[in-house]
Amino acid sequence: MSKLTQRKSMDYIKKQYRETRKMPGSWYLSNYKYKYNITHLQPFLKKLKEKKLVGLKCSGCNTVYYPPRFVCGKCLVKPNRWVDLRETGKVSTFAIAYLKDPETGEIQEKPMVLVHHDGADTASIAQLNPEVDFKDTYIGMPIKAHWAENPVGGLMDVEYYDLMKDDAKDLDLPED
Amino acid sequence: MDKVGIVGFYQVKLYSDANYGRYEMIFEAVRGAIDSAGLKKKDITTAISCTNDYYDGRTISNCYTVEVGGGYMADESKVEMDGAHAVLYGLMRILSGNHKLSLVWGGSMASCFPYHAARLYETDPTWERPVAYVNDITAAGFQMRAYLEKYGVSIEDIAKIAVKNRKNASRNPLALQEAQNANITVKDVLDSEIYADPVTELMVAQPCDGVAALLLAPEKQALKITDNPVWITGVGYNQETYYLGDRDLTKSMSMELAGKMAFDAAGIKDPKKEIDLAEFFEAYAHEEVIFSEALGLVDMGEGTNLNSEIDGDIPINPSGGAIGGNPPCGTGLIRIIEAAKQLKGEADGYQVKDAKKAIASGQIGMCAQNNIVYILEGGN
Amino acid sequence: MGRQVAIVSAGFSEHASKRSDVNIAELVSEAVEDCLKKAPSVSFEDIDAFATGNMPGFEGSNLPELWMADWMGARNKPLMRVTTGGTTGGSVGIAGYYTVTAGLPGIDTVLAIAFEQQSQGDTSVGLANVAYGEVSLLNYLGLTYDQVGRLLSAGAAIGVAAYQATNYMHKTKIVEEDLARVVVQNRRNAAKTWWAHLKMPNLTIEQVLDTPYISFPLRYGMVCPASDGACAVLFTTEEKAKNMCDIPVYVNGVASVAHETAILGYSASGSAQIDPSEQLGAMKTSEICYQQAGISFPRKEIDYAEVYSPFPNQELMWVEKLGLFEETTAPEMYKNGVTALNGELPICCSGGVNSTNAIGASALERPAVAALQIMGKASNQVPKTVHTAIGHGWGGSLNLCTMMVMSDEPQRKWR
Ligand SMILES: [Zn+2]
Repeated sequence: MSKLTQRKSMDYIKKQYRETRKMPGSWYLSNYKYKYNITHLQPFLKKLKEKKLVGLKCSGCNTVYYPPRFVCGKCLVKPNRWVDLRETGKVSTFAIAYLKDPETGEIQEKPMVLVHHDGADTASIAQLNPEVDFKDTYIGMPIKAHWAENPVGGLMDVEYYDLMKDDAKDLDLPED
Repeated sequence: MDKVGIVGFYQVKLYSDANYGRYEMIFEAVRGAIDSAGLKKKDITTAISCTNDYYDGRTISNCYTVEVGGGYMADESKVEMDGAHAVLYGLMRILSGNHKLSLVWGGSMASCFPYHAARLYETDPTWERPVAYVNDITAAGFQMRAYLEKYGVSIEDIAKIAVKNRKNASRNPLALQEAQNANITVKDVLDSEIYADPVTELMVAQPCDGVAALLLAPEKQALKITDNPVWITGVGYNQETYYLGDRDLTKSMSMELAGKMAFDAAGIKDPKKEIDLAEFFEAYAHEEVIFSEALGLVDMGEGTNLNSEIDGDIPINPSGGAIGGNPPCGTGLIRIIEAAKQLKGEADGYQVKDAKKAIASGQIGMCAQNNIVYILEGGN
Repeated sequence: MGRQVAIVSAGFSEHASKRSDVNIAELVSEAVEDCLKKAPSVSFEDIDAFATGNMPGFEGSNLPELWMADWMGARNKPLMRVTTGGTTGGSVGIAGYYTVTAGLPGIDTVLAIAFEQQSQGDTSVGLANVAYGEVSLLNYLGLTYDQVGRLLSAGAAIGVAAYQATNYMHKTKIVEEDLARVVVQNRRNAAKTWWAHLKMPNLTIEQVLDTPYISFPLRYGMVCPASDGACAVLFTTEEKAKNMCDIPVYVNGVASVAHETAILGYSASGSAQIDPSEQLGAMKTSEICYQQAGISFPRKEIDYAEVYSPFPNQELMWVEKLGLFEETTAPEMYKNGVTALNGELPICCSGGVNSTNAIGASALERPAVAALQIMGKASNQVPKTVHTAIGHGWGGSLNLCTMMVMSDEPQRKWR
């Protein structure tokens, strides 16, 4: 297309056709069937049922992944050593979400935390005990996993994290 | 342009419904490519991926592939076209002198989404999408019909291409199982379900699950890594206009221009004589004919008369081509890998004799609107 | 081995929350026209190839350049599409750079185009799709959708940024006022930029702090708008650039280093980015860029910076991570006016992403504005002469980063 025609066509579109119509359309999410291999998660889920936390350690760089992941991005190899983790950890960062209660319509403040487990090198998303006042949350806050009464081998087995008041007791836990 | 070496590659086996996840598949390909060159993760300074947000059902489809795709703390980017276009970007990064080893991977899992429905989102949102009659399949129907009419070719001749590619695929262990058929006949192809007359099911490259990866290095570096690299000596890419009515559908303008650019770069004067084999991304059987005509491998209108069997005059798609398995975003990349295998003499069971120079192509768009062509050379 | 690349022109479309007067193609043609107007000697025939990109999920169109080819002038020309989420624009710019520097036969001049018309699609659907698969997996592993929703309600772009903001504020001990100050500077700058979206010449810190929280510690008044807009940048070789404009802007360093996904890793596996404000990827990116450009003291040698900061805490963080200021000193610099239009090191005088965010285009607008500042053609031009400037981009889940270092002097490393 020559320069002139090109310029002309642009002018033409802009001047002659001022009105632009909206065409309906959508991007259907429900058509997608995502696939995930969960082989590497099975031992982790099994341990959760026994109220135990485990992470996967990379032999290349000694990074401990919790929750486990099947490839260490730093080394591009599969981590292969399971290590036990303590139930304790720290808040590595947090944000407060403002959510509308579906029934009352009230805006509720919900602190969401990223938990860095002692013994792990990764952080995972979690929630605090709903009774904790969000104003008390701070970075580096010591916390401890609170187990569900009847663990089923799912992510909700650690219901939430409790504020840790006396952390001296937990130091006696066996190391990996 | 300076020649660039392909120093390693890997392709996962193609499945219509693979029994593993997206990340595992990407990891297998990327790790396999790095291992095939005997390198380590830290040698990779740049990683180019090729995925498509719509095909993956993920916005920012390269967001979660950084770790498994070898992009961790590397100069990373994503090309959202065909895998062959991603190789182009990897190639540019090598030619710039900024990088000494570039990793390119591409692929997708077609079992997770309805491929042809996702492709509807590629059509013009004002004129074509609302009616949904014009899509990649009907467009292929237009093109095939136009070609048949213009040159007086019979539909059997097009079906023969599909037969040849499916037979070739049966000798390629990595091809899609559903596409492998050593005993297929022209009648089988013509009797299969009609997609958009005259296009029948077996003339279509079936979308499937698969990922492929390859490693590029500049000349000096390539010779350090391997004794037997395959050289990319030329590349050309081009996009023609979108609207089917504006195009002469009986030929491929973009392929012709891309071919010109690639032949110029590689210094090829007479492709008919100089090229030993071609690996095309033919989304539909007739595209193979149109591409070989556009690139001058055969005279216009004579495409169906070319003997393109593995032991023929110019073997085309000895691996089975895209009809042997079409993982979205990976097919073009696999064509380059297959051409490289032929030049290295590693194509067990479907090896072309004395292959020295090869063509590989990739495409996107309706009726192959955007094409990319590579000239590959073997030996040192 | 590699050629010196120069930027000769850059153009923008007008940005607004709803450009319903145009479609994507017309929006793009506006930017292309503005770009070519600034380089009158360049015509469509002189453009040898194209590099383009946008964030397709936000508009409901896959590969729009297929049907837009004619509007961009890309008929029968080589075209490469690069998309990387929030960094799309930056990646498109870098792709434009590489297309020129690679020296492929017949390709000297390349037009890079990035665009976004968010009002055409459903941005929330697009955003939900970022982690839809990982969230489904969490659900399969035992988390109810209600729980997932609560965990990730802070999980879209604003959410990950909120986590990052908490970290940054913890480290620097700054208060919300410091964040609001950045917003005020940006929105006032935007008022002087013709194509900007949120123009607020009289905005005050109190007004910003008066808006409700969207996700603590970020308030509605602090976050970027969603805009429609497009940007085009013309790249060419050193030789050709001299004939195309008065002051060619030489691209001396480019990089885009990726780090791990933050907050929610792949397969819902958590993240090794324990501190999302650490930004190792951005630090490596700037390191590579400065090395390529031969810059040893970024603090002294860089005269102007455009950083990609939809949220004010990010602007403070980036200028530190990219080596422009010492760690934790950025808030002080904003207070003292160092970063203002007439300051020592002006930052985001276009109003930045904080005032205008057409997602796919934003990261290209950064180097585009920086280049125009060097040429002296920017619409909110800084009074001092700019010799060296940077344009930066951010995206993904806090893990992708692009950067381009530009100067009025070519880097002679190719000789
Ligand atoms: Zn490791």
